Amino acid sequence: MNIPNQPLNQKILKYLITVLIVVGSIWSASGLEITPDRIFSAPGKIWILISAMFPLDLSQEAIDRIVPKVAESLFIAWAGTVIGAIFSFPVSFLAANNVSLNSLSRMTKQVLNIIRAFPELILAFVLLPITGLGPLTGTLAVGIHSIGTLGKLSSEVIEGIDEGPLESIKSSGGSKLNELFFGVVPQVMPTITSYWLYRFEINLRASAVLGVVGAGGVGAELINQLRFRDFPRAGTVLVVTIAMVLIVDTISASIRRRIIKGREIKV
Amino acid sequence: MTDTLFDPKWEWAFENASQALLETIQIAILASILGCFIALPLSFYASKATNQTTTTYIIYKSFLNFIRTIPDLFWAMLFTVAVGLGPFAGVLALVMFSMAIMGKLLSETIDSIDLGPLEAAKASGAKHNQAVFTSALPQILPNFTAYFLYIFELCIRASVILGLVGAGGVGRIIETQRIFLRFDRISPIIVLILFAVIAIEQFSVWLRRKIL
Repeated sequence: MNIPNQPLNQKILKYLITVLIVVGSIWSASGLEITPDRIFSAPGKIWILISAMFPLDLSQEAIDRIVPKVAESLFIAWAGTVIGAIFSFPVSFLAANNVSLNSLSRMTKQVLNIIRAFPELILAFVLLPITGLGPLTGTLAVGIHSIGTLGKLSSEVIEGIDEGPLESIKSSGGSKLNELFFGVVPQVMPTITSYWLYRFEINLRASAVLGVVGAGGVGAELINQLRFRDFPRAGTVLVVTIAMVLIVDTISASIRRRIIKGREIKV
Repeated sequence: MTDTLFDPKWEWAFENASQALLETIQIAILASILGCFIALPLSFYASKATNQTTTTYIIYKSFLNFIRTIPDLFWAMLFTVAVGLGPFAGVLALVMFSMAIMGKLLSETIDSIDLGPLEAAKASGAKHNQAVFTSALPQILPNFTAYFLYIFELCIRASVILGLVGAGGVGRIIETQRIFLRFDRISPIIVLILFAVIAIEQFSVWLRRKIL
């Protein structure tokens, strides 16, 4: 039997990647003072923390404090996603190089890149002195970051459309605007809507942590309980947050599946 | 208060933040490598295509779903309490974070692999693990590489903010300066982070084009 040899440059690439990964992790680990005994003692310490959380603090007072905070995170995520969706939709048309001018598209993409480079928490930092402590700052931070990510994703969807419908609209006398409305939008809407929902799921996690810097949501509650070493209550915060995220994820995922795949027809 | 935001102290930022920025990058490198390589075997167990045992499939799948529900900074808070302040907690938090994302992306990719090679390997006498290793793994390696680079980018972004809860990296400096309301020191650091993140992202895009 004749088995062809692996090309040499592929072999070199393989070893190069392996070396890169090994050297990278050793260099990083040495810079971070990670020693074997810290690694081996970590599981035990984590177990101590987990066992300190149970039984959970389910007193009425705790529930009354935690549930509104979790709901606030949900509201921030939803409002932020709406802001992101509304603003990113027109921007994504500007950024797509097949429907927009070439130079304009490149410029818009750079702006979107810059927006995306700031994590929500850093944005919240910048906004804190302007809009003050509270959920408004969190909503704006989540919204602005969503414009960046949704704009990029949506413009890529628009770039991948089928040009046929556009041509037929043009040949039957439609204007450039007609092309956008009747050629592009119907093609991209299902995918973009599912991206909006997907972004909502991500924003939910982002808004949960925004409270750490005082921008509203459940994060402040968790960090305070951990600081005061009130582990049962911290455990309650965690469990309520996880439950909320799981529920929202499940609902959103099923809606997304319905949008992309259509109704399942039983034969 | 906002005036100082636009009066950046550049020299101070270069002197004090560059070391922490390096630490941030190291956390991201180590955590994304560890997280992705732990998730690699797990995702084979969390896919219907390569794991026919329903009970273990459900266990692995729901384990991955569960760790995905906890946001990265929550992990960081928990680990700082458990193993103490510092970058080690940050690495652990990001390992969980990248493991969760890789597990989800990869197990869904494995769901849609071509089952032919797997069957062929089994027909010629391979055990289940051997068949998976020789015929399922090569199919998903390109995806794994692409996801790895994507997760590395996510980790770079996430590691910037870890310091806010004391889990190492450049966020620690931002947090201390924020307490003193020194926005003139925070703004140059944020610009530095911006440049570092964009540079790393460009590098990763270049690498992806080179490898794939």
